[in-house]
Amino acid sequence: MELYRLTASELSEKIKNKECSSVEATQAIFDRIEKTEDKVNAYISLSKESALKKAQEIDEKIASGETLSDLAGIPVGIKDNIVTKDMLTTCASKMLYNFVPPYNATVMDKLEKCGIVVVGKLNMDEFAMGSSTENSYYKKTKNPNDLTRVPGGSSGGSAAAVSAGEAFLTLGSDTGGSIRQPASYCGVIGLKPTYGSVSRYGLVAFASSLDQIGPIGRSVKDVAMLYSEICGRDDKDATTAVREYPNFAKNLNGSVKGMTIGIPKEYFGDGVDAKVKESVMDAVKVLENAGATVKHISLPSTDYALSAYYIISSAEASSNLARFDGVKYGYRAENYESLTDMYERTRSEGFGDEVKRRIMLGTFVLSSGYYDAYYKRAKLLQQQISAEFAQAFSECDLIITPTAPTSAFKLGENIDDPLKMYASDICTVTVNIAGLPAVSVPCGNDDNGMPIGMQMIGPKFSEQKLLDTAFSYEQLMGGSIVKIAEL
Amino acid sequence: MQIDIKHIAKLSRLKIEDEKLNKFETEMQNIIGMVEKLPSLEDKLSGVDVNNTMELREDVVQPSLKRDEILKNAPQTQAGCVVVPKTVE
Repeated sequence: MELYRLTASELSEKIKNKECSSVEATQAIFDRIEKTEDKVNAYISLSKESALKKAQEIDEKIASGETLSDLAGIPVGIKDNIVTKDMLTTCASKMLYNFVPPYNATVMDKLEKCGIVVVGKLNMDEFAMGSSTENSYYKKTKNPNDLTRVPGGSSGGSAAAVSAGEAFLTLGSDTGGSIRQPASYCGVIGLKPTYGSVSRYGLVAFASSLDQIGPIGRSVKDVAMLYSEICGRDDKDATTAVREYPNFAKNLNGSVKGMTIGIPKEYFGDGVDAKVKESVMDAVKVLENAGATVKHISLPSTDYALSAYYIISSAEASSNLARFDGVKYGYRAENYESLTDMYERTRSEGFGDEVKRRIMLGTFVLSSGYYDAYYKRAKLLQQQISAEFAQAFSECDLIITPTAPTSAFKLGENIDDPLKMYASDICTVTVNIAGLPAVSVPCGNDDNGMPIGMQMIGPKFSEQKLLDTAFSYEQLMGGSIVKIAEL
Repeated sequence: MQIDIKHIAKLSRLKIEDEKLNKFETEMQNIIGMVEKLPSLEDKLSGVDVNNTMELREDVVQPSLKRDEILKNAPQTQAGCVVVPKTVE
């Protein structure tokens, strides 16, 4: 079997047992990229030279008998809004076309210590604002399962690379579904961790109270392996929780016996494709047959979640993106008459239209006279949504919903209609609003052969139980639920 | 609702080209139309998650980035400073 087809955990075993080297695995990934990247466009930048050098170092350490992390020598791709020292970090924006960070995000420091090999930086919607990766300033990523369709977004590059065999694992970020929705569209596995479990230091901020970094991979164990290494308290991010985490991958337990699964009716309404509902409920049946109990529940405020999400996230974005002013880094307009004129021209030329829309929406809902009617109401609704989830988790262990109301749509289909684009986040935004963890797992295909994803949602810090349930489903389906796209 | 797009753009430090004003205005009106459907809930906001409280780190002096490392990304520098247009006449 070609090396790029292995899961990260299989590759990790082979590297440890000296059945293959990290250099061979890294070379295999770059060979695959050579062959498929023209079609997929998952990466904004590649770092072949430094990757091979790092792989060589790992191979030498293994040869000398050093004990290394399970991730040592594994080629991994990184979403381009996670800052990487001395490696271009653009957020898929013209605004940061030349930004080479002088420091690493905390997750990158952690992963470098583990000995991962960074393949390159992955495409995304500009500043993570979007649901199709079509808002990138640089290129349009294609869904490897059908090149006329979008990979989802905003972590479209991260999901597409894993699906295409252009990385064993990737990091994405999720503010309203940006890991789970592309994972669902591309037929791979994506985990949005509990808010506060992974440091956001060095994640270019979109909506600070909702953003989380998380893993995307081809097996539940792979995702658990990467998550185990990135989670934990960080003094550089005061919102990270002070607590100990287990090794999620080593603890994986594939039994769902006695577990109660909640099925909220609001996530199976008219806006959700019939085939999507059917596939998700078939998957629930598989877990039920293995000993889980199904309970039908209601989360009544779900209908308002999208409004609350776009108000809160845009309000925070309008403030966070104020830093892009052409003064200290990134793009600066060429011609200007005054300081204010420089700010305005820099921002107008540097940002794309969707980013401008969100900044203006955020500015509007926070502006004098409108704050109470919009932002405050949204924050109250956020509490209400959290309370409804808490109530639900008093009677069930986890909740299963579709990850997205449809499978991947065609490139260009929704790009001129922001509201249609926003609607693809309807099943995922509640999780960010309530700060919960959720994982998207492939659970079938529609009539066009496009993957469908099921979303498992758990209480805060219940990642082990979520991953256990996903692992259980994977085992029940024969051990593998992700297919590498044939390209 | 009527949106004064020029005013919002000004507050956002953005310039919208004249030919795009109408498009942005319509889009913003649609988006605001979508998000304004929110119920009025009883006002009892609490910003704190009592089960998962936050903790601040100790305030200890630590090495930070060097000035020249940071200035490498600045569009225009002079004598260790960032250059911007004149701000005071």
